[in-house]
Amino acid sequence: MRAIFKNPLALAGLIIIGVITFMALFAPFIAPFDPDAINVKSILLAPSTEHWMGTDGLGRDVYSRMLFGARISLLVGVVAVGIATLIGIFLGAIAGFYRGWVDTIIMRLVDVMLSIPTFFLILAVIAFLTPSIWNIMIVIGLTSWMGVTRLVRAEFLSLRNREFVLASQTLGAKDGRLIFRQLLPNSLTPIIVSSVLGIASAVLVESGLSFLGLGVQAPQASWGNILTDGKEYIEFAWWLSLFPGLAILITVMGYNLLGEGLRDALDPRTSNNK
Amino acid sequence: MLKYLMNRLFWMVPLLVGISLISFLIMHLAPGDITSTEASFNPKTSEESRQKMRELYNLDKPVILQYGLWLKRMSTLDFGHSFASHQSPVFWQETDKDGNVTKGMIQEALPVTLLINVLSLTLIIAIALPLGVVSALTQNRLPDRSITIFVFIGFAIPSFWLALMLMYWTGVSHTWLPISGLHSLGAEKLSHVDQLVDSLKHLALPILISGLTGLAGISLFVRNGMLDVLHQDYITTARAKGLPEHTVVYKHALRNALLPLITIFGLSIPGLIGGSVIAESIFAIPGMGKLFYDAVLMRDFPVIMGILTIGSALTLIGNLLADLAYAWADPRVRKGVSQ
Amino acid sequence: MQQKPNRLRLALNALLSTLLVITLAGCEQQKPQAALDLNRAYPSESGGTLVDAMSGEPSNLIAMMAGESSSSAIAGNIFNSLLKYDKNLELTGELAQSWEVSADQKTITFNLKPNLKWADDQPLTSDDVLFTWKTVTDDNTHTPYGADYKLVKKAEAPNPSTFIVTYAQPYAPALDSWSGLHILPKHLLAGQDINNTPFSRHPVGSHYYQFDTWKKGESISLKRNPNATQGQAKIDHLVSRIIPDRAAQFLELMADNIDSMSLNSIQYARIFPARPDLTAKIAQYKELGNSYTYLGFNLKRKPFDDVRVRQAINYAIDKQEIIDGVLLGLGLPVASPYKPGTRWSNPKLQPYPYDPQKAIALLKAAGYEDHDHDGILDHDGKPLSFEILTNQNKEREMSAVLVQRRLKEIGIDVKIRVVEWATFISRFIKTGDFNVVLLGWGLGLEPDQFNIWHSSQQAPGQFNFIGYHNAKVDKLLEAGRMELNPDKRMKIYHEFAEILLADSPVVYLYAGYGLPAMHKRVKGIDDPAPPAGIGHNAYEWYIPAPLRRNEMSAE
Repeated sequence: MRAIFKNPLALAGLIIIGVITFMALFAPFIAPFDPDAINVKSILLAPSTEHWMGTDGLGRDVYSRMLFGARISLLVGVVAVGIATLIGIFLGAIAGFYRGWVDTIIMRLVDVMLSIPTFFLILAVIAFLTPSIWNIMIVIGLTSWMGVTRLVRAEFLSLRNREFVLASQTLGAKDGRLIFRQLLPNSLTPIIVSSVLGIASAVLVESGLSFLGLGVQAPQASWGNILTDGKEYIEFAWWLSLFPGLAILITVMGYNLLGEGLRDALDPRTSNNK
Repeated sequence: MLKYLMNRLFWMVPLLVGISLISFLIMHLAPGDITSTEASFNPKTSEESRQKMRELYNLDKPVILQYGLWLKRMSTLDFGHSFASHQSPVFWQETDKDGNVTKGMIQEALPVTLLINVLSLTLIIAIALPLGVVSALTQNRLPDRSITIFVFIGFAIPSFWLALMLMYWTGVSHTWLPISGLHSLGAEKLSHVDQLVDSLKHLALPILISGLTGLAGISLFVRNGMLDVLHQDYITTARAKGLPEHTVVYKHALRNALLPLITIFGLSIPGLIGGSVIAESIFAIPGMGKLFYDAVLMRDFPVIMGILTIGSALTLIGNLLADLAYAWADPRVRKGVSQ
Repeated sequence: MQQKPNRLRLALNALLSTLLVITLAGCEQQKPQAALDLNRAYPSESGGTLVDAMSGEPSNLIAMMAGESSSSAIAGNIFNSLLKYDKNLELTGELAQSWEVSADQKTITFNLKPNLKWADDQPLTSDDVLFTWKTVTDDNTHTPYGADYKLVKKAEAPNPSTFIVTYAQPYAPALDSWSGLHILPKHLLAGQDINNTPFSRHPVGSHYYQFDTWKKGESISLKRNPNATQGQAKIDHLVSRIIPDRAAQFLELMADNIDSMSLNSIQYARIFPARPDLTAKIAQYKELGNSYTYLGFNLKRKPFDDVRVRQAINYAIDKQEIIDGVLLGLGLPVASPYKPGTRWSNPKLQPYPYDPQKAIALLKAAGYEDHDHDGILDHDGKPLSFEILTNQNKEREMSAVLVQRRLKEIGIDVKIRVVEWATFISRFIKTGDFNVVLLGWGLGLEPDQFNIWHSSQQAPGQFNFIGYHNAKVDKLLEAGRMELNPDKRMKIYHEFAEILLADSPVVYLYAGYGLPAMHKRVKGIDDPAPPAGIGHNAYEWYIPAPLRRNEMSAE
């Protein structure tokens, strides 16, 4: 754990995520304006002392919307990755532990899902279901479990022949106990790294979906849809593009830095040989 | 080796059928069909004509029957015609009795996407490889840190945001590059060289935007791979033997670090033919991404199925080739398999 | 310390050099920013190319087969109809020089202009008109527009310049329907399968322009037709570039790569006025569109079956605020389902004013009060709360947000749901599974609205999906269809609109302006736009030679 703090990039990532999470959690208290407060007399105002990040096409304060948008981005990221990770752990554990035909079927399923370009799949499903925030999270989750599955399976395959596992087995430990008490905790590193990176990717996917009109819908604020609303005035109302764009950039970078930093810090191979 | 090959090829057919079935079912989960477009919501149109169209396309039959009919057609590699533009064949061109050729939709969209993706991949390799190597060799020092930061930024930028800003900067503020499209007006009147330059200028930004994420990913991958390999015993041995540094780095370390890259390329094949919907929409490029997106919104089932099927088939073949290439390239696997 | 590999340096150098070369090559081809005097008067002359942008690509250039607007936009430059609307929105002849309606009002005789020709020099006669009618009414033709033409009992072409149609009943919308049917060439299409003919990708017509090239996914080019039946257009070439993204279109307009584009309200009212460099070279126009946006109630569901609830909601919505906020003032309030300023729009009707007190009083009379003091009105224990459904359209989404806020102020809880179009239609509209929708109607110039308001049109897939049923309105709509005298028709539809306003089955929100922007090199545009819009005399527009864009040529 201390290794994380030694790695400056991971530390930077942690700080970034910390700040953003704080702002998201306390948004209702920090936001100077109601993010949905329309004011047709203050449409498209540039940043000023009153509106730090300007106003949008309906006169709503952009800074307040950005704070609430942080909640959406966080929520989408965490829930989508949560779903993907749960599915991935479940399938990967079974495949890695029981092997045989169970493993074959699950791996073929992974192959099938990997063969269909992910964004296409998300696009198709979102277009069909109504693009609500829950559907987006579920769909991103349902289309990104393949990586976790492979990781968990690989870990289980390599771990299951280690002595401590064999020892437990001879002592008569049941399968469930083995999986949950022995194998899973030792497979945590790649799962954590993959989850953190997955959140970054989910945030980007949401903004891409917003661009296509299939992301989080009005009147809810999300960074993706603030960006999209402002794209036709990109050089006139630059604040509608700059702030959400930077926010997405910094947040995704933060998660990536943390993820890679964790990987560097926790991976026994690279840390032992420095 | 042959047995392995046969095994993989054998698995491909049920896999493809499975993929197509899943795709078909997902597609039909959607409410609406080709008759629910915005254009058909016109009070001057009649419901009977829409009903007729539904019957014509078998949309009123049970889903499983529709799938069966599609599968039957596919067995003769007949991808059918688009629902939206009845005469356009989904995949390959057709010639009618008078010798008029109608080009297939995928036939027209695929080359553009393929070109952009291949050029993008080339760019990625050309830049990401050196970056990753430098990063690994100067681990944790300034070059490594700055390359890492740069790579992370590239990874994290929302692509359409960057695209619009670049389009503005290179096309409006300055007139270095065109803004959208594939060719300038009247480009066919230019000499061949000038036409090539014109095309390249139009493709520059799309290639850059498409390749950015891959660039970040691959440089990081090369860096980590190199680091792994550089800490292995045989590298220490090579150095102890007194081999010059660049031989150690290139002949031994890099070659071994690159092996997993082959698998990565295999995995990025679905991305090759799946053009980026976002980039193609912004840059007005008529590629596979845009084709798919429009087909989804219009519920143009034959086109959707055509793209998904071809995409999956190419992916499976690509993965197979990647695995074979890996097996051939890695002497351990090659020797082990033939034993 | 490790040495930086030399090969790396070489590779990076090569890359940078290539980029540099491309950049420099680009710089050389910069357009000379010579001071073009765009504001002085230039005499009219022929030549030049007009470049505009389309968001979608047509599927088919035969308008009756295709549904999209991009198709009819292009086809409208290639084909003629028998009749057309002039600048004041009156019907006048296009291929026909005159027409007579028989005494029993069931027969129309069209007299074609003499010496009409197709772009390929073949004569255009009534045989072509008859052929077109046969094609659009043929059951094997996959067209959604056949209904109007199938009402013709008998169609004849007794001589090359006369075309006669006879209806079973007097049918008032008939003349309008003949202004919308593009006449097709029999000599090129007879014997072909209209559903699969290559003609749809390279059509031959008779209007100002003929088809030139179609680069799939990129652009469609038209060139001037020397045989044009209506005279000669001035501009030589029309190029429509396919640019799906509106932000990209605006960038192209700013960079002078396209000559025209339709702006949104913010671009028109906020960006242009703040950018003198844009207003120096691009002119803005304003023309009232043919559509209106409305809030529609599902009249088969409570509480929308109670007229007081509907009227209350009408009073509670501040329509001027929506026009000011969503359209930045670039729209008009409406009180009838017709384009303001036309004879069908009843000038005596006024929209419901913004009166929240009256709204509350009406709701109270209907039994809705805040009995449990939670801020939301309720009745029989149930709160007055519903969902407004709309499709993915920025203006509609913004309007919904404003409606939501005003309704909240009087105690109605509204949620907004934005749904993708095809899902919207099949899951909600067709099944009648909705409470309130926010949509628009894009109407033609023909006042008949039978399909939308008559009680017989409520089946799934038909257009009276809100379930409106009023016996008096039914009779008026039926009568309006059979009355060919324009003044008597006007009275019928004025009465129809009056009843509709009182019943308030929908809340009319606004009729928006179209905001075309044209580069100042295009001269001859009428400003202010007449009722038909600026495009009515597009064939008279010209681009003076000094202002034309540099065309590419082989060096």
